[in-house]
Amino acid sequence: MSTDDVRGRVRSFLDTRLASRSPSDTDDIFAMGYANSLFAVQLARFVQTEFEIELQAEDMDIDNFRSLDAIVGFVCAKTGADGPQRPAGELA
Amino acid sequence: MTGVRSPVGAPAPVEVDVALRAPVPIGLAAEIEQRVLFVAREIVGFSLIVDDGAVTGVTLRSAEPLDVAEITRKLDTVVDNDVRTQLVTPAKVVWRSARQRTVADGTYDRLRAAGVVSESGEGQAAIGEPLLGLMRYFDRTVTGILADHFDVREYRYPTLIATSTLEDAGYTDSFPHHLLFVTRLHNDMDVYAGVQETFAGRPIDGEILAYCGNVDYCLPPTMCYHTFAQHRGTTIGDGTLRVVTAKGKSFRFEAGYSTTLERLWDFTIREMVFMGGRDAVVAARALIMSHTFALLDDMGLTGRCEVGNDPFFGTVDTSDRIVAQRMLELKYELRLQVAPDRDIAVASFNFHDDLFGGGFGISHADGTPATSGCVGFGLERLVYAFVCQFGTDPADWPDAVRAGVRRLGA
Repeated sequence: MSTDDVRGRVRSFLDTRLASRSPSDTDDIFAMGYANSLFAVQLARFVQTEFEIELQAEDMDIDNFRSLDAIVGFVCAKTGADGPQRPAGELA
Repeated sequence: MTGVRSPVGAPAPVEVDVALRAPVPIGLAAEIEQRVLFVAREIVGFSLIVDDGAVTGVTLRSAEPLDVAEITRKLDTVVDNDVRTQLVTPAKVVWRSARQRTVADGTYDRLRAAGVVSESGEGQAAIGEPLLGLMRYFDRTVTGILADHFDVREYRYPTLIATSTLEDAGYTDSFPHHLLFVTRLHNDMDVYAGVQETFAGRPIDGEILAYCGNVDYCLPPTMCYHTFAQHRGTTIGDGTLRVVTAKGKSFRFEAGYSTTLERLWDFTIREMVFMGGRDAVVAARALIMSHTFALLDDMGLTGRCEVGNDPFFGTVDTSDRIVAQRMLELKYELRLQVAPDRDIAVASFNFHDDLFGGGFGISHADGTPATSGCVGFGLERLVYAFVCQFGTDPADWPDAVRAGVRRLGA
């Protein structure tokens, strides 16, 4: 699994759930009011099932879920996803 | 390794071990403990059974033998819905007192023996001096912090609160176990005559409810719902932070009242409510927190402040609400030591996001819901913790407290 794979799947989740209010890669989803607090738990559950990560108590830090970049970084650190990025335009 | 957590509630002659459907991580033990006494009214006390780092069952205590199958069903339902699905979050302490004082046990018994407190009912206590003077002092001191930094308006609210207000606040959905309704006889002469006839020469019992039925008012569980109702449908100008404070009696049914001043059915809250933009509300909460911590350190009180959560009960998304509160640090609880192995929550510092702005139609100029936060000090608990640590003799108190109590007088 490459970083781009992770980014694409997280982006897809955010676009679906937040519809027209989709945040940029660095936007703080909660501080900027894109979603209410319950969305933090939805994000955690999404990460848990989508990437088969067993979340530990120490993983439940909001800093791991604040932005698309933060989520991608967290997932990659937990899964070791650091494969080569796909050239632009290449199909997954 | 097998063991039990500290017993909760009262002792009772009948004990039965009930196994949970499946083990629950020990990190969620406190969440189970918050709920067991609400599972069935026959339960008066309990201990969690811990095995190999997980809660595997509960030893229940009751006056009469329990229907084990029925109680197991109820217990599993509550644990499965409210606790088991929670993602475990780390304990996070945001402040620890500079002073770590050794606190002796038995303060409540000493207060009762000295006539400082007397119990007038389950979870209800009459409170005398020196606790009253200390309550005035602490109340004046924390409201002084607020007044020093904000343009604040103070109100005294009615004791009753409309049930519809609690519904708008989501309270009836989130905390049904704490609700206390106020009812009255229907205003109908036949009803009055029926009551007089029915209860002539015998005590009033549940049969009287047939003559009542009004549930339009409750006793308030806190003050801030009054404030939101008061500001319902208003618009907050850009850059404006509304700050309101109120002190009042608050009421929550709590099952299990063993050490009365630590768990009261009715108690006094000094509440501070902030409404406005997100950054301003969050900053206001942080300011009150930092000044409160400094105050406690100046006094030499021992305690800590940690991320907390509300005791949501039995809603479809109880677990997620609790986890969200903890992840986003929407609630901090200030806990002070009252015994060698026990502390109690004396204050909470809360950020509601736009929950109540949306629920009560309190908006920004652009129509989006305002954000809000509140700080609540439980005054009885605060002064109880103080005397647990410093005693009731003013000669042993910090100079500033002794002088402040004397200055405020009776």
